Amino acid sequence: MTAAAKHSQAMHFQARAGEKVRNPVLQRALQKAKPLFVGKRAKGIAGLADDDLDFEALRTACEGIRNRTLADLDVWLDIFEERATASGAEVLWARDGEEVGRLVVDIARRHGVSKATKSKSMLSEEAHLNEALAAAGIRPVETDLGEYIVQLAGETPSHIIAPAIHKTLEEVEALFAKEHGRPIETRTSADIPDLTREAREVLRQHFLTADMGISGANFLIAESGTAALVTNEGNGRMVTTLPRVHVVVTGIEKVIPTLEDFATLMRLLPRSATGQSISNYVSLLTGTRREGDHDGPEKTVFILVDNGRAKLLGSAYQDMLRCIRCGACMNHCPVYFSLGGHAYGWVYPGPMGSVLTPLYTGIENALDLPHATTGCNQCGSVCPVRIPLPRLMHQLRTEQVERGLRPWSERLAFKAWAWVAGRPALYRWLTRRAARYLNWLADGDGRIRILGLAPGWTAGRDLPVSSGRTFHELYKARKRA
Amino acid sequence: MRVALYVTCLVDLMRPSVAFASLRLLEAAGCEVIVPEGQTCCGQPAWSAGERALAADLARKAIGELEGYDYVVIPSGSCADQIRNVYPQLLADDPAWGLRARTLADRAYELTSFLVDVLKLSAVPNQFDGSVTYHDSCKGLRGLAIKRQPRDLLARVPGLSLKEMSECEECCGFGGAFSVKFGEVSTKIVDRKCDAIAAAGADAVVGGDLGCLMNIEGRLRRRGDETTRVLHIAEVLAGGEA
Repeated sequence: MTAAAKHSQAMHFQARAGEKVRNPVLQRALQKAKPLFVGKRAKGIAGLADDDLDFEALRTACEGIRNRTLADLDVWLDIFEERATASGAEVLWARDGEEVGRLVVDIARRHGVSKATKSKSMLSEEAHLNEALAAAGIRPVETDLGEYIVQLAGETPSHIIAPAIHKTLEEVEALFAKEHGRPIETRTSADIPDLTREAREVLRQHFLTADMGISGANFLIAESGTAALVTNEGNGRMVTTLPRVHVVVTGIEKVIPTLEDFATLMRLLPRSATGQSISNYVSLLTGTRREGDHDGPEKTVFILVDNGRAKLLGSAYQDMLRCIRCGACMNHCPVYFSLGGHAYGWVYPGPMGSVLTPLYTGIENALDLPHATTGCNQCGSVCPVRIPLPRLMHQLRTEQVERGLRPWSERLAFKAWAWVAGRPALYRWLTRRAARYLNWLADGDGRIRILGLAPGWTAGRDLPVSSGRTFHELYKARKRA
Repeated sequence: MRVALYVTCLVDLMRPSVAFASLRLLEAAGCEVIVPEGQTCCGQPAWSAGERALAADLARKAIGELEGYDYVVIPSGSCADQIRNVYPQLLADDPAWGLRARTLADRAYELTSFLVDVLKLSAVPNQFDGSVTYHDSCKGLRGLAIKRQPRDLLARVPGLSLKEMSECEECCGFGGAFSVKFGEVSTKIVDRKCDAIAAAGADAVVGGDLGCLMNIEGRLRRRGDETTRVLHIAEVLAGGEA
């Protein structure tokens, strides 16, 4: 079992899905968020026309940039390493999450670090970096507001760009009151700025006293050895410029060739994520503090992580490596918005998670996820880099069958059904009987309330049935008449 | 023009009136309609489940039955998507079958797309006194770009008015086996669809895929809505009697 698989709860998807559907507080939070995400993106994409830009043309450009980089990933990574090193940074490589933890702890010890501020990084979730730091006596402090909330609550992010989307205002108020040592107040959405200010005041002290800042990177720009950081709260700047040491932890697939490519990808990343034409902060971080700089780290280390990525190169799943982590797929997923992110059991939720979790933690450790889709392709149609998410989920389902990972009863049922469907006379005979049986089960008004064969259907729905005759039966009789 | 009608397994078993309505529509438009004997299921459930070999068997069977006509018409976006988009890739490794799959794919049309894009139908046989709201099924919409065609046709029905619901392109949560395997999640999704339908306040909800319609009707009734009619577009265009 891989290190990643140990932390995955994806095999409990079915049970967790039920819990989440029945959780009224969570459902309230999700219902509120969905139209905001969908509406903002739609507006953002429509706004491209104001700048004489075309969404499909930009998608093609972005897809092309990512494909070209992935085709020569080793070369671009070499160039990145060379340029980053030349600008004064150090570049380290990590095979998996555990190695990330060891490397970061080692850097922290060498530099006498006791506290590290963190800017949002999903890869640090893959690596369970906070646990590794805490175990080594180093205090990690999440500084993205959502991540801060999630860390205080002892939870994990449920969305890649809105980590605390599963929490209601009341829950956050109760949490802050408890953790910040003050009485609970009655809050309305008008008080959200007050809660934000409260978190800022706490975080400000951490920013000023941390010895190390840990961030991710939205992209690594090879030609200049630069980390590009796209954020909205400003915490990313504090994390990457105030502490003595800055560690960037990111995946090897995040590299792109040039600044020009970055500009192109930025046309779609914020619009796909939050609908913004550009995020509040876009930071390009190169090397260490130079003479005359007012701020910036004395030491910059890039930790470039594989954790399952390299083996996707050249595989049927390579398209997934194009992902730029905008979250549009989950924001448009009917399954995600019925459950929230925690049901998915590992770091990445929604359609991207249903592909990445099996690929990074083992197909056999996430059997339900590629099946947790209606096949609607709302994700694929909004993806800014045209990842065919439904096709990748389908490929995973096919691989489950090929590797003998499906239950024998399911396989037998499909075999029997296909065998019958291949024999029209037998099929007609059986469907005639089935039509009569279904009609007999119906309660006189053509609706079945409880169907033992498919309890999953009738638990929430009636099953409307026909008059007890199949089309082919009726058609034959009519032709004879 | 010889047109083969592929009735789909779901319509055959659950709602024959959809196939009879399709038949009447095509005949009224002047087509010679043949219902090829031996047709069963296009194999989509096997394909979706990852049972590639079984799906390929059923694809070859369907191709054998459906080739040789000028057109094949299917009253379902989902099954039409299977024949048009999946068959060619499923059989691509076999040159002979791959060619037959591509040839069939080019002639296979979802019903409303055939009526509008190929026949350029200008009048429909039925009239409908009341308002309808149209649900865009995912495979038809995102797989075959069917959006304008059903609305063009509905606009030609005397007495009918269209009341669009919000988020008419949102998935209804059916997803074939998904609705049984993840029944609770599916119910949650179709609830949102039912809310949108209720808000539209039309006399009937209309769609082009029986799976979605059974899901929507089943949930509407369970929620206590006994009045909103749930109709396949063929039934609206041609009348619903068998």
